[in-house]
Amino acid sequence: MTTRREFIQTLGATGAALAGLSACGGGGASSTGGLPPPAPTPSSPILVIVNIDGGYDWLNVTPPNAGANLGVYQTKRATLGITNPALLTDLGSGMALNKDLIGMDALHAQGRVAWIPGIGMPNPNLSHFTTIDLWGQGAAVPAGTGWLGRFADAAFSPTGDVLRGITVTADLPVMLKGSSRTFVAITSAGGYVFPAYLLSTSTVPDAALLETGWATALSASSTDGGYLAGAQAGRLFYDAQNNPAFGTGGSLTARTPTVPYPGDATYPVLKLSGTALSTSLSSQLKLIAQMISAGLPGQVYFARLGGWDTHSNQAVDHPNLQRALGGAIKAFHDDLASITTSAGNAQDRVLILAYSEFGRRVQENNGGTDHGTAGLSFCVGKSVKGGLYGGYPDLTNLDANGNMRYTNDFRGLYATVLERWLGQTAATTDTLLGASYPRLGFL
Amino acid sequence: MADLTAISSWTLADAQHFGRRAGFGLTPADAASLQAQPPDTAIDAWIDGTGAAYDTTAFAAALATADVVAEPLVGASTTVAGSVDVPAVAAPHPFLVQGADAWRNNLNTAQALLAWRMQHNPHAFEERMALFWHNLFATGWHKVNNAALMLKQFQLFRSQGLAKFDDLLVAISKDPAMLLWLDSVLNNASGANVPNENYAREVLELYSLGADNGYNQTDITQLAKALSGWSFTYAEADYVKNPANPNLKFPADARFKVYDGTAIAPDTRLWWGGTATVSSNMHATGTISLLGQNLDVTTTANGWAKGENAIRSIVSVRGSNCAQFLARRLLTHFVTTGFSAQDLADVAAMIQAAGFDLRAALKTLFKSQYFFSAANRHALIEGPVSWTVRAARMLCPSLASGSAQTPRGYPAWRLVTNSATTFDEAGMKLLDPSGPNGWKEHTAWLNSNTMRYRAKLAAALTLNETRTYNSVAYPLFPVAITVDWFPTAPTSSQAVYGRLVALLQPAPIPTSVSSAWLAALWPATFTWDTAAQTKARELAFLILCSPAGQLY
Repeated sequence: MTTRREFIQTLGATGAALAGLSACGGGGASSTGGLPPPAPTPSSPILVIVNIDGGYDWLNVTPPNAGANLGVYQTKRATLGITNPALLTDLGSGMALNKDLIGMDALHAQGRVAWIPGIGMPNPNLSHFTTIDLWGQGAAVPAGTGWLGRFADAAFSPTGDVLRGITVTADLPVMLKGSSRTFVAITSAGGYVFPAYLLSTSTVPDAALLETGWATALSASSTDGGYLAGAQAGRLFYDAQNNPAFGTGGSLTARTPTVPYPGDATYPVLKLSGTALSTSLSSQLKLIAQMISAGLPGQVYFARLGGWDTHSNQAVDHPNLQRALGGAIKAFHDDLASITTSAGNAQDRVLILAYSEFGRRVQENNGGTDHGTAGLSFCVGKSVKGGLYGGYPDLTNLDANGNMRYTNDFRGLYATVLERWLGQTAATTDTLLGASYPRLGFL
Repeated sequence: MADLTAISSWTLADAQHFGRRAGFGLTPADAASLQAQPPDTAIDAWIDGTGAAYDTTAFAAALATADVVAEPLVGASTTVAGSVDVPAVAAPHPFLVQGADAWRNNLNTAQALLAWRMQHNPHAFEERMALFWHNLFATGWHKVNNAALMLKQFQLFRSQGLAKFDDLLVAISKDPAMLLWLDSVLNNASGANVPNENYAREVLELYSLGADNGYNQTDITQLAKALSGWSFTYAEADYVKNPANPNLKFPADARFKVYDGTAIAPDTRLWWGGTATVSSNMHATGTISLLGQNLDVTTTANGWAKGENAIRSIVSVRGSNCAQFLARRLLTHFVTTGFSAQDLADVAAMIQAAGFDLRAALKTLFKSQYFFSAANRHALIEGPVSWTVRAARMLCPSLASGSAQTPRGYPAWRLVTNSATTFDEAGMKLLDPSGPNGWKEHTAWLNSNTMRYRAKLAAALTLNETRTYNSVAYPLFPVAITVDWFPTAPTSSQAVYGRLVALLQPAPIPTSVSSAWLAALWPATFTWDTAAQTKARELAFLILCSPAGQLY
């Protein structure tokens, strides 16, 4: 495991790049001055990815509140723009935080949030699906694998570590696909072990025979891609469920969250309509907390909140989505403090990385916004050095389609996390991403 | 290159390959009777639905009953489990009625109805094509929020799925569910308004050309202008009323209308309701420049709607790109993902030469040497809905021989689709994809979670599982093994295995695997008794769960 000292040494290697970041506003401690220093990197770090799916309108999450950018924003967001100071928290550097992103202002005040506006890529594409693949692959020369899948290839044991990478979505995003290793998808805490997940158990084949179908097939000499995909998927499921953390009935130890999450009856914030917020992300993060608490060896988790493709009805949908997103992340971070395992306190161990495939067009349409380019990522954790990293896009200098020009290459974020959180060497990090990208200073 | 010349004769294995891909499988007996006909006429009849084998009369009658089936499973008031006593409601979509005093827009019920149709429609090709188009023109119930309009879209796929592609593209662009799904109904480009690009982008990227294949961002904004105001209205007759409370009504049908400031038909409402008698003016005026062509977006020449010329120009101006896009999707779904660039070009050229006549193009593809080549057998991973339906077709009794349930199997599907949202977790939330790009196919169907739920579905299909609802245990897929699976009693474990393989038609299973299974299941002398029949269920389960069982 790489130590904090080694991290600092590594900083020296990329000092020029870091100097550049400082010049464009990185580490903006202006609003977080006087706080205790970030906690050291834990010995058993966990990365939780939160995918903000659909291309979120971060311009309305962290809108400009000063200067020329504010003028452009007021003009192009005449109806949807969030400009009332009462609805905003000032983050400094001409950027504000929409209070609908519940709880994030409190985390920001604690110095636990790194904001990375303008994150994107050269030659941006306005297609969700093309851009999702690019964000997932995270390499200049993608080969169908994702950046975290390649991390798994490099870091996970070829024969073990089955539960080191877990998605709590039903699908397996390209981000998590490796060439030899891949992530396990687990969507519920109960009934995971064969045959508990069957509808009834009156007649149950021997589990060993089921494994014969998968494991023996995997060791057979087939070169058929489809056949191997079936064998690998089955074998992975079969191996994963053998973890002793899945107790009686194949269920993780029950756990009651220590704080309310969005959508819970006791959660104080509701939708604009007065009904309960979406529980989608809350449920996923609660499940991850339960997995950590149960002692599953997960190092990287993946969760997703969809619905951000706000072509229409944004004035209603977007505040509700922000409340579910911010509220769930804040609740999760708080909830983690109550979980301590042999690997340490979970709040010390978890870094949350939130990202979306792109931001949205600066000019609104009738009630919504169309696809744009540069996005906003943010990272949350006790080890984070809070503040702003990279420059806010210049809204007076948009591209030919009226979209923002990116200021931060998204692979710099990946490089930072791989090297300074997941303990990869600088050389391995660069290999995993296909090139060397400047690290950000929040870790 | 892809040899698209037609085969002149075929084997039983050929007919089975065709049945798996162009339908939902054929039992050994049905495959034999298909193979007895010359492939040319047999495939024509299969696609066209002509002839006694594809007669849908009995199926349609059962389907009509499905609309009033009293499902104790969905909470209808009944006196006898399985009886039919929900008041009949006028077509088209009374199954939306749930019980005598409640009703709903129920996704699981609509999923069950579709799965039941796929299992029992004698003209399986119609359902297979609907499933194909559903993945291509992927539309999601969670935003449309109207199961009836979703099923109306499926009906469009059945009725227009073999038309000319440009006509189909126009029809889907006018489909009410699609108009809601990608915000066409909110696309206002009149005057200085900024158009909503959502549909224009996706129709080019996902529905006709493919990402960055022959268009740019300017084309998207221009097309969005042309399609502004595309919307729909409801007539009074389009509403289904709750039989218990006619004041509760739900739109189950709708009709296309360009909102250009003109009057709407008498006794109709705009899509958001209200009392207006004139449509809002949302349609752009003037000329756009699209794909290098100047088009008047206000013309109604040829009887086309305003802006329809723009949709049609995608196919007419970018025919080569469009044909390539279609070829890729058709090959990926029906033939193989292992096609070469030349194979793709050959199929695209064939589609273009057929004038985008889908019926003609699909007949050519399905009769071709290329489709039947050995390399393409079991070369695809089957999607979970198709996989489940095909197993049900092979293992469960036909509609004609079913008895206990009316119509047989529909309540089971209702439970399967509702049980821990099994289709969803298996990777295909039928009628409700998360995005307009649908589902990736082949190896993308499989991961540890979808495999887990395939095992769950396999158990429901083979292990005589029941599901209890309101204290009544309902068999999910009731079968009489000695009748439905083994009309001839097997005399050895190998014979059991052989018959199940003939029914389920997996890819070749390594002998090391099958021998291990048989040795464990039948360690001693084989006797075809009740215990052996239970073992046969287990073997069917193992075949369905195995890697080879995912390929088709």
